[in-house]
Amino acid sequence: MRSISKSFKPIYGILLVNLIGFVLLYFYKKPFEKITIYIGLTTMVLTSAIYLFILIKKLGDEYLFLIVSMLASIGIIMIYRLDRELGIKQVIWFTGGTVLFLISYFVFSRWNLWSRLIYLYAGTSLVLFLLTLIFGSDIKGANNWIVVAGFNFQPSEIIKVLYVMFIASYFTTPEKLNIPEITLLERKISVHNRGVFIACVYMFIGFLILQREWGSALLFFIVFYLFLYIYGTGLKTLLFNGAMAFMGGSLGYLFLYHIKVRIDIWLDPWKDVSNKGYQIAQSLFAIGAGGFFGTGLGLGRPDFIPEVHTDFIFSAICEEMGIFGGIAVILLYFLLIYRGFKIALSIREPFGKSVALGLTLMFGFQTFIILGGVTKLTPLTGITLPFISYGGSSLVSSFISLGILQAVSKKAL
Amino acid sequence: MNINRKIVHALIVISILFLSLIIYLTYFELFTKDKVIASSYNRRQFETEEKTLRGSIQDRNGTVLASSALEKEQQVRKYPYGPLYSHVIGYNSKIYGKSLLEAKYNDFLLGLNQISMVFGLRDKLSGNMKTGNNLQLTLDHKLQDKASKLLAGRKGAIVAIQPKTGEILAMVSEPDFDPNDQKLVKNWGKMVESKDAPFLSRAAQGLYNPGSTFKILISAAAVEKGMADRLFEDKGITVIDGKKFSNFNGEAHGKINLKTALAFSSNTVFSQVGVELGEGTLRDMAGRVGIGKDIGFDIPVSESIFPYSSMSKTDMASVGIGQGKMMVTPLHMAMIAAGVANEGQMMKPILVSKITTNDGRTIRNQKPSELYNMMSKETAAAVKEMMQEVVEKGTGRNAAIKGVKVAGKTGTAENEFTGREKNREHAWFVAFAPADKPQIAVAVVLEYSGSTGGSIAAPIARDLIAAWVKQ
Repeated sequence: MRSISKSFKPIYGILLVNLIGFVLLYFYKKPFEKITIYIGLTTMVLTSAIYLFILIKKLGDEYLFLIVSMLASIGIIMIYRLDRELGIKQVIWFTGGTVLFLISYFVFSRWNLWSRLIYLYAGTSLVLFLLTLIFGSDIKGANNWIVVAGFNFQPSEIIKVLYVMFIASYFTTPEKLNIPEITLLERKISVHNRGVFIACVYMFIGFLILQREWGSALLFFIVFYLFLYIYGTGLKTLLFNGAMAFMGGSLGYLFLYHIKVRIDIWLDPWKDVSNKGYQIAQSLFAIGAGGFFGTGLGLGRPDFIPEVHTDFIFSAICEEMGIFGGIAVILLYFLLIYRGFKIALSIREPFGKSVALGLTLMFGFQTFIILGGVTKLTPLTGITLPFISYGGSSLVSSFISLGILQAVSKKAL
Repeated sequence: MNINRKIVHALIVISILFLSLIIYLTYFELFTKDKVIASSYNRRQFETEEKTLRGSIQDRNGTVLASSALEKEQQVRKYPYGPLYSHVIGYNSKIYGKSLLEAKYNDFLLGLNQISMVFGLRDKLSGNMKTGNNLQLTLDHKLQDKASKLLAGRKGAIVAIQPKTGEILAMVSEPDFDPNDQKLVKNWGKMVESKDAPFLSRAAQGLYNPGSTFKILISAAAVEKGMADRLFEDKGITVIDGKKFSNFNGEAHGKINLKTALAFSSNTVFSQVGVELGEGTLRDMAGRVGIGKDIGFDIPVSESIFPYSSMSKTDMASVGIGQGKMMVTPLHMAMIAAGVANEGQMMKPILVSKITTNDGRTIRNQKPSELYNMMSKETAAAVKEMMQEVVEKGTGRNAAIKGVKVAGKTGTAENEFTGREKNREHAWFVAFAPADKPQIAVAVVLEYSGSTGGSIAAPIARDLIAAWVKQ
């Protein structure tokens, strides 16, 4: 019991942030709505309950969930401040996410067959991609949504998890992807399993490009490329894939209008600020308006930014909580990633190792891609900020990933 | 283990990326932000504007020249004297933006400095309206009104300065416009297309050939070169390198010294003096009074120009009589007269003397400062004496005031119509008084008047000076 009370401390911080945030929102948004208090209480109770559960049941790394619930709390406070209805929905998603977090933890720990399902991962992904292509509807310029019974659902968020499992399975047992020799015109052609693997990865990326999900395509490639490096597949493979990426990027810039526009806006958003550069300009205005300490919650105008509750939530945080608030969020992500790396480094079991590594790289680069984009450090590619952005698919997929990471961390101990 | 080493490499890459994000954000906040958020596409700017009661603008005695008030929840900017200050204060319109002082001092008028941002948080939370800061100008409302009446709608400009401090006492440009929002909306289209350029603040931005008023500076250079007591032969006309330079109406003055030559504005003498001074001295004099340099003023001001790459003898002669290619603003000419009055020291022109908060705290106090050392005290005294002669006996007799010693110089300036149409010259008069203890320096220009400076500009200067000195 003493160890519990000792390590209970960081959670006070999270509860305090929630308390201050929701009390401020309650008093600032007139007329006073009791729902604000309920929303705050739900978040706080849920966070404490699951954290205690992790501690008591000894479910592995105790910090992962703490860091993530801090991020999610900031997200909920910010989204609720921007739009009450979306805030309520986000809390519902958060509740669902934490349940899925526990479920995926137990499902992943319970059985030991996950490294053998490489065809299932690739197959399910393919089916989801095809479904998106056929039934997908166009929302916000990306053709990556499926509407099921009134719910918008983004299959590519789930594919992210499947993709990591696929890569991890391959690097654990590459021979699974061996295919028999093909006899073509009386000549025997044999393809190395690495060729098959690379082809599969390019299929993933190709589908994402078809759906105009440039950010995810880039993210998938970076993770893939780092795996190639880490698992020592040789200089030739690295050079070949690097050249492919370079060619793909150049061709995209030359022939794909969307990519060219994004790069041009990044180089000079002021040339067409009333139109194409509008969004990033509004984002920079918001970040600038906040200064170091922010305008204070509810006192800025982040609602001037289009899509502020999803891709541009970080700009809203910077406006109202200041650059220091923004830097705190960046450091939280860094802590999360650091914990992930620690798990990947300490575990000996090969599949767990590559799963932990893959999920961590996903979190890390997804965060960097969107934060770099909204601050104009890098070109902007629409992608959500894990755990903070509004959106069920994104939150659910992130919590499933976290559940798996949590399960691996238990084995690492 | 090899793999673990490479995993650490990946961690290092991510660390560098995240660190670069933090550094970039800090850099943005410290260095690039100010320029970015000033964009007119930033709606937050209008947001603060609506929540702040814009500060008022007053003359040197506290007469309110511009103020804001709430009318039906809407903030309205009022200019009680209509067009009188349109070329000083400018306008502040939701549709057309801001100009002149309203633009330059926008942040002060809105109270947008960092300190009030912190203390303003209370108002922001309580929903009270913030109040901006007030500007006090150096202008004197009575004198400004007088100047406007004297100009009586004729195209041109009048500038009056206090020589010792550089404070602008009056600054009028015609044509002008009514900056009150309703009038502005009504007349905008017409005014933008108008050939008369009613939005041009002629006093600070109109560039004119200085004409004979430039002889003040030529005289100063001549005095420095020891030509004060020399006798010149004035036959009414002289030919330099094949080009004729003749006096007004071709009058011949005979053997005269520099003083008399200035009094009667002898082109015959001054063209020769210009050549004798030479390119170097002419350039040096122009530079010493700030021609071709940025004066730096509270409202946008055109730079006076001396655009010669190399000068021929006829160029030097033209500059000698003030007709060359150089151009000056009325403000600059008034500053030059004030400089002579102030023993050769040209003061920095001041328009906004004080900025105070709504509860009376002073946040900025503009102190007089020297801008250029034009000439020595002795030279200035000699030139002053010569300018008094202009008003006592010469072309500027119309500026004489009983009981006040006035020093001045007339000018009739050529322009693009010269040689094509008759009677289109600009009429100039610059002056200061009282000569022994100068309180005011004045420049008057009437565009395309077709008359001489002595006949129509001098009386305006006289009445304005009289109004100020006898006050």
